[in-house]
Amino acid sequence: MARVYNWQLGREMSYWYPENRPQKQFAAVFDINKCIACQTCTLACKTTWTSGKGQEYMLWNNVETKPYGFYPLAWDLKLLEKLEGQSWSQREYEGRAVNTYEGRTIFEAAPPGERVLGWKPDDQDYSYPNVGEDDCAGEIEKGASLQVPHLNWFFYLARICNHCSYPACLSSCPRGSIYKRPEDGIVLLDQSRCRGYQECVGACPYKKVFFNPMTGTSEKCIACFPKIENGLQPQCFVNCIGKIRLAGWISTPEKARPDNPIDYLVHIKKVALPLFPQFGLEPNVYYIPPLHAPASFLRQMFGPGAEDAVKTYRAAAQDQDLSGLLGLFGSTEMVISRFRRQGDWVSGINESGAEVVRVPLKEPVVIRAAFDKLHQITRTNCP
Amino acid sequence: MCTHTRSIAPIILLSLVLVSSCGRGPVMTTEVVALSAASVPLDPNDRAWDNASEHLEPLVLQDLVDPRLTEASTPSLRVRAITNGEEIAFRIEWPDTTKDDLPGPSHFVDACAIQTPAAVEATVPAPQMGEVGKTVEIAYWRADWQASVDGREDSIRSTYPNASVDHYPFDAPSLETGSEAQKEMATRYAPAAAVGNRRVGKRESPVEDLLAEGPGTLSRAAQTHSRGKGLRTEAGWSVVIVRPIPIGLAPGARSQVAFAVWEGEHREVGARKMRTGWVPLVMVK
Repeated sequence: MARVYNWQLGREMSYWYPENRPQKQFAAVFDINKCIACQTCTLACKTTWTSGKGQEYMLWNNVETKPYGFYPLAWDLKLLEKLEGQSWSQREYEGRAVNTYEGRTIFEAAPPGERVLGWKPDDQDYSYPNVGEDDCAGEIEKGASLQVPHLNWFFYLARICNHCSYPACLSSCPRGSIYKRPEDGIVLLDQSRCRGYQECVGACPYKKVFFNPMTGTSEKCIACFPKIENGLQPQCFVNCIGKIRLAGWISTPEKARPDNPIDYLVHIKKVALPLFPQFGLEPNVYYIPPLHAPASFLRQMFGPGAEDAVKTYRAAAQDQDLSGLLGLFGSTEMVISRFRRQGDWVSGINESGAEVVRVPLKEPVVIRAAFDKLHQITRTNCP
Repeated sequence: MCTHTRSIAPIILLSLVLVSSCGRGPVMTTEVVALSAASVPLDPNDRAWDNASEHLEPLVLQDLVDPRLTEASTPSLRVRAITNGEEIAFRIEWPDTTKDDLPGPSHFVDACAIQTPAAVEATVPAPQMGEVGKTVEIAYWRADWQASVDGREDSIRSTYPNASVDHYPFDAPSLETGSEAQKEMATRYAPAAAVGNRRVGKRESPVEDLLAEGPGTLSRAAQTHSRGKGLRTEAGWSVVIVRPIPIGLAPGARSQVAFAVWEGEHREVGARKMRTGWVPLVMVK
C-alpha cells in the first residue's frame, strides 16, 4: 500500500497505488434540490449504452429515493455497517476550519487477504430498482396538509460512476484491467483484459460496476467519453429535464480557480459535496445537499460540510455569482470550463475560450394572453 | 509415548497404501505418472483410465497474493495421466456437492486448471503462475463452457428462465435477421464480444490455453491447442484435459505439473482458488 493525499479527508491515506493525478479530472455537480426523479437520465443512459443482452439489469445511471431507496438493495447501508461508526475532527489551519477524517477508509479497513473492504451484491439485490421510491422517512398522519418545514422528508439521489481519484474498482482488480485516463481522469474497464472475476463489483462502494452474465466481463459508466472528447456533456446530463447537472473539470483545492464552475461550487463556495467521502475514494460527482433532510443524515452522506452547504444554498438568491452559475446548469450541451457574470447575465465559456451560452440571472416573466389571436384559439394554462 | 506414536505412523500409512494397491482400487503413486499408450482418451469414462495409476494431491489455499482465499474448500484432487508421445491427457477428479455452471452477479462457476513450465529446464518457474522470463502454460477448463459445448442455449433465460425482455435494439423490425447490420448493432451493446473477449456464451471447447509470467499476468495463448471434457459424477467433477506435451518432455523424462480448482459455490474465482505446488510428473517409457 502507498500513502496518498485525499483532500476530501484532509489527510493522507493508504491506497494500493501511488498518487498519480490526471492532467485533468472529469467532475460534476448535481443539485439534488432540483431533481424530480423522472428517470429521464436513467433512460438516456440505458438506451445509449446498456440495451444489450446481459445488460438488462444494469443502470449505470439511476435515481433512488433516500432514505429507503437503493440500487442495488442497501448498497450504502451494508458498507456503512461493515465500516462501523467513524468520526471527523475539526481544527484550525491558517485561520480556517479544516475537517479531518479520523476514521478508517475502505482501503484502511480491508480485511486480511483483501485489497478493499467491500461486498458483492447477489442478483436479487438488483431486482428492486424502484424500492423505497417516494417513501417518506416517517409516516404522515391522515388528514395532514402541506407545511413548511415539511412534516417529513425524502429526497432523490441521482447516481452515476464517480470517476474517483482513488477508485476502489481499479485498485481491486488483480489483473489491472481498470485504468484511469491521464487526459481526463475518466475510469474505464478494459473489455479486452477483463476476465470477469467481479472483484471490482465487490470493491466499488457505490456499486457502479456491473457483471454482464452474457459476455462474462464487468462493465461500468464511461462518462460518455466519446462526447467528452468532443467538448460535450454526457447523455444523462443533457437529457436532464430538471437541469440539475453540470459537467466540468475539478482542480485540487490549492489550485482552485474562481472562474471554473466546478471549482467555484466545490472549493470556493463549498456548496457541493462528495458522496460518502469517508469511504476514501475522493469521488468526483459532487452534490448540493437537499434543504429539507435532517443535518445528521446529510453529514453521514456528504461529510461535515453538509450544514454549511445548505446554508449557502439557501442564501444563493443574494449571491449573484452563485445563482448565476446555477442558472447555467442544463443550459447547453457543451462542457463549460469557465463562467463569467457581467451584470444580470452569466456566460459559459468552453475550453477554447469561446462563449457558448449566455443566460440571464432572472428569466423574464412572460404573461400569455388566454386567447391566441394568431391561431384564433383559446389556450388552457396548466397550473 | 509421543515418539512411539510417530514411529509407527509411517508403518500404518505404508500398510494402507499396500492394502489399497492389492485391492480393486487404483495404484496410488507419490507423483503423477503418465502411462504410455497408443492414443490418449478424451472421455473421463474411457476404460483406458483404469490402466493408469492415480495420484492424490492435497490442495492448499491460494494465500500468497491478494485477493486471497482465506477459507479452505476442496481438500484434494485425484489425477491420472496418459501420453501417446505427442499429447498428454490428465484426468482430474475432485469432490464437489454443488454443480455451479451459470455465471452471474455473485455467481461463480466450477473450474480447474493444469499448469506446466513452458519449457523443461533445470530451473523451474515459481509454482504461483510462473515468473518474469519463466513462462508457464495453463490449460483452463470451466463448467459453464462445458455446458455450452454440451448444448445449453446461449440465452439470458438459461440463467433466468422467466426473464422477460421488452426489446433489444438489434431485434428491431427494420433490421433483417442475421444481416451484417443486425450483427453490428448487437455487437455495439456487447463490448467484450466486440473486442473478441467474450468470456461466456456459445463455445466449441470447454478449455482455454493461457500463458502467465506471475500473478496478474495471465493472458490467452495465441491459439488453444488443448482439448477437454468434463462430466458431473456422484461425488463431484471428472475432467479430462488433453494438451501437447511440453517442449523437451521426452518419454522417460521428468518434469512438473501443478493444479488448481475453483469451487463456484464458495465464490472462488481468479486468485481465489485451491491450488497445488509443483507435483513431479514422470513420463513412462
